[in-house]
Amino acid sequence: MKSISELTDFYYENLYPTLKELDKQREQLKYRIFLVGFGFTFIFFLIFLAIPSSYWQSGDLIYFFGFVYVALGGIIYKMLTKDYVKEFKANIISPLINAIDSNLNYSSEMHITQTLFERSEIYTSSVDRINGNDYVFGHINGIKIKFSDLHTEKRHRNSKGKDNWSTIFQGLFIVAEFNKNFHAKTVVLPDSAQSNFGDMIGGWLQSKNMARPELIKMDDPKFEKEFVVYGTDQVEARYILSHSLMEKLLQFKKKSQHPVAISFVRNHIHLAIEYNKDLFEPSIFHSLLKYKIAMEYVQTLHLAIGIVEELKLNQKLWSKL
Amino acid sequence: MSVSMIILLVVGIIVILMYNSLVSKKNQVENIFASVDTQLKKRYDLIPNLVASVSKYMEHEKSLLSEVTKLRAEANKPNISDKHKMALDAKVTSALGSIMVAVENYPELKANENVMHLQHSLNEVEEQIAASRRAYNQAVTDYNNAIEMVPTNFMASVMNYKRKEVFEISEGERQNVNVNELFDRR
Repeated sequence: MKSISELTDFYYENLYPTLKELDKQREQLKYRIFLVGFGFTFIFFLIFLAIPSSYWQSGDLIYFFGFVYVALGGIIYKMLTKDYVKEFKANIISPLINAIDSNLNYSSEMHITQTLFERSEIYTSSVDRINGNDYVFGHINGIKIKFSDLHTEKRHRNSKGKDNWSTIFQGLFIVAEFNKNFHAKTVVLPDSAQSNFGDMIGGWLQSKNMARPELIKMDDPKFEKEFVVYGTDQVEARYILSHSLMEKLLQFKKKSQHPVAISFVRNHIHLAIEYNKDLFEPSIFHSLLKYKIAMEYVQTLHLAIGIVEELKLNQKLWSKL
Repeated sequence: MSVSMIILLVVGIIVILMYNSLVSKKNQVENIFASVDTQLKKRYDLIPNLVASVSKYMEHEKSLLSEVTKLRAEANKPNISDKHKMALDAKVTSALGSIMVAVENYPELKANENVMHLQHSLNEVEEQIAASRRAYNQAVTDYNNAIEMVPTNFMASVMNYKRKEVFEISEGERQNVNVNELFDRR
């Protein structure tokens, strides 16, 4: 697999003509957005003035007005940027993925399915809405892997019957074949209780988590500090989480610089990396040629595709050959 | 209800909870030991096959092979204590390790498909044994903590629960089996 610096070179060398072209488009788009945004706000302001003030007595109209402004504005923004986003994904993200490994396929519209997300059991709340894009799938060193940008939400109905949506997960969701066979379920979550309440109380709270199976204490203090493990089988959880894998997961977490949750279900490893934003979207207000922006695309892709090598998923044990 | 009755009831509930938690910890240790035992048996079952496959070539390691066979026979005896089983396991692990190192010196063996298959199976079993040992040690640690810490220690001494021993895990074992190396040899 190519290194990050090789990929950065690829980004700036091979993709440079396309990038320059796209960046021109971006500049034009930026002005168009400002212009349309200004006009849109102005028209709204006029309508606002035209409505007699007596109508504003009830707060509902103001509420409605604000809602229409935001919703309409969002739709217009989406329409304006649609072509640019599409072109960016086809001409930049897709070749970048191909450069990392030519065995990978890319679809800018599809995403990891709800079934897979729920199967992972990383999150216990039920999913009411799922969104995503930038689906990458294929084989790396003979290991099946797929990942995508994902946003799952839960619906809350308040007393007035209005819907509120809260995010369950937003970020990168990766599923790959695991190199060992297992039957039990093991979930590795970021450790919040132990770091907030200390070992004694935090540990006790963890063991009382009703939504999860048994607490499994790991014999690696560094790992225990960062993660908490739940599973249906004490022995199998340790069979999966060998000392070397625990170390690798710690390194992976450090590299990702974001909260990571992992689960092992049905001979697959699932990783949920919380970015809390839509990934692989082209920047509109900053140049595509900026190093920081380029690095973000490259690093995220490298991180996701790199797990096969990083976690040594291609080194299968005998029983899996 | 009088105050003394309430106090008595609360004390009663606390005693029951402590008793139950100790029993469940003890049972957890036993359960996991059973799974260690299963894995150990799996490994013992591989030994005759291994010895048969390598003994033709390994002239200089005859004593090593006979030692492994002896250890296996001993482990298969009925009614041996858990402590004895743990001691045998340590010996078998080191003896098998030496055999595997010795195999390196025999090119015919290294290329032998049967031996290779055995080597992989052993590796797999070793990983499973390592996992169940770690699970066992954790269960024993929880159990030992409970019988030594206040307030469950009073209850434990009444119930006559004694400290249990953990598996010694050597530094070498903490390093995982390097499967990659095995593959490169092919």
